[in-house]
Amino acid sequence: MEKAVIELLARRAGLDKALAEFPEDVAAAAEQASGAIARMKAPTDPRAEPWPPMRIGAGL
Amino acid sequence: MSELHWLTATEAAKAIAAREVSPVELTKALLERIGRLDPKLNVFIRLDAEAAMDAARAAEAEIAAGRRRGPLHGVPVGIKDIIDVAGLPTTCHSKILIDNVAAADAVCVARLRGAGAIVLGKLSTHEFAIGGPSLDLPWPPARNPWNPDHHPGGSSSGSGSGVAAGLFPMALGSDTGGSIRNPASACGIVGLKPTYGLVSRRGVFPLSFTLDHVGPLTRTVADNALMLDVIAGHDPLDPGSAASTAGHYASGLERGVRGLRIGFVRHFHETDLPAHPEVAAALESVARTLQGLGAEIRDVNLPTLGEFGAVNRVILQSEAWAIHGPWLRKRPGDYGQLARRRLLAGAFIGAGDYVQAARRRLEMIAAVEAALREVDLLLCASAMDPASRIDDAAETERTYPRQARTPFNVTGHPALAMMAGLSNNGLPLSVQFVGRNFAEATLFQVARAWERAGGTDEKHPSVM
Repeated sequence: MEKAVIELLARRAGLDKALAEFPEDVAAAAEQASGAIARMKAPTDPRAEPWPPMRIGAGL
Repeated sequence: MSELHWLTATEAAKAIAAREVSPVELTKALLERIGRLDPKLNVFIRLDAEAAMDAARAAEAEIAAGRRRGPLHGVPVGIKDIIDVAGLPTTCHSKILIDNVAAADAVCVARLRGAGAIVLGKLSTHEFAIGGPSLDLPWPPARNPWNPDHHPGGSSSGSGSGVAAGLFPMALGSDTGGSIRNPASACGIVGLKPTYGLVSRRGVFPLSFTLDHVGPLTRTVADNALMLDVIAGHDPLDPGSAASTAGHYASGLERGVRGLRIGFVRHFHETDLPAHPEVAAALESVARTLQGLGAEIRDVNLPTLGEFGAVNRVILQSEAWAIHGPWLRKRPGDYGQLARRRLLAGAFIGAGDYVQAARRRLEMIAAVEAALREVDLLLCASAMDPASRIDDAAETERTYPRQARTPFNVTGHPALAMMAGLSNNGLPLSVQFVGRNFAEATLFQVARAWERAGGTDEKHPSVM
């Protein structure tokens, strides 16, 4: 993720203070997030529901 | 009788009921051991010795009068410091909550006290159960009693270290991505993440609402079943609580494994995250032993650890951001660096990503359910490596994510980690058993068969 994009997203999230005091931590967090999102596969069925978020035995 | 500090919870409860050991004598012995060893292990954030002794004297008086509160009467327990104990701070091992005093016991603590257990104090954790092991927090990190130069796993670090070191026979932990099973693996004890919703989370500081579980850490399988019997149960005020009627978790402990079908998820440790050779050999040894005892071992395939890990991470960090966002905006410097980095990540995950993770999660639950229709339970790795040195940040960073525990936070299935053997340098190796929802009794049955065959309950750290 580009530095300018990280800064834009961080400011939009209200993280001005973190950005000023811990810019490397903010950048590392953004990389973690984009890495996890990139590794996640899309559901195989386009009609797959996300709800309920967690209920035992509620698999497809 | 064993030395008092090595009594299991079951043995201690029995000896107390028979008036062979008094709760005062047991609590005193443990407090003396804590005084001697805790400066090396950093298990406690807050030791509540005076209240523990008061409770022990009350328990002794009750026994003398012929009254027994429950199956844990007079048995000491340690509580992870993200779980509320009335009148004590719940700091989550963080400067953020350093003055946060709990008004009431968490439901799981109230249930333990109702069964007669004696609360010794609050135990070290990774900051907010996510940032650790860290050296930049108000309290030092817990250390591994098998070798204090090594980490004890986490985030329930004090729970794992203290149980393994004989500071108390049982502890409460929490598990959002493996935080009960990691210290159980690193410290060579038994840790259970119960089925999602089986144990109330009310009074436990949340990390991720749909991934959080509360469960027991003990030195034996029988103690784990005993503790689960006490803490499990429906809580109408916990929105994730399940209405399970399961119980009597120790009922099948000695039934053995003959005829059980066990699915071995080899790809977790063979191809997804190739394990340290000693870990791989230990897993094969457990499988062979159970086969020798009459179980049928079959290979089973599930989604990869990479896929499970990504879904876990997106859900966990999104939900944690909802909790920590306000503090991260105003007080980012009051977090340790590891927690700050991990919790800030949620700010960069979109709502659409979170929904995608929730949709994919249901498919993953379906995949594990399908596997568990063909077998009675699963056997797989827990940690891919023995615990690294605590001062080797790079090695800890490399090995900590090399694990197979997060899949079962994503799916909610019960999962138990325990010792599989010892490495050449004397550190615990681990195995994980995973069951059908609410089938903890079957997990305990298989875990007990391995414990008996492997003699894992007889192995204690010698350095102490």
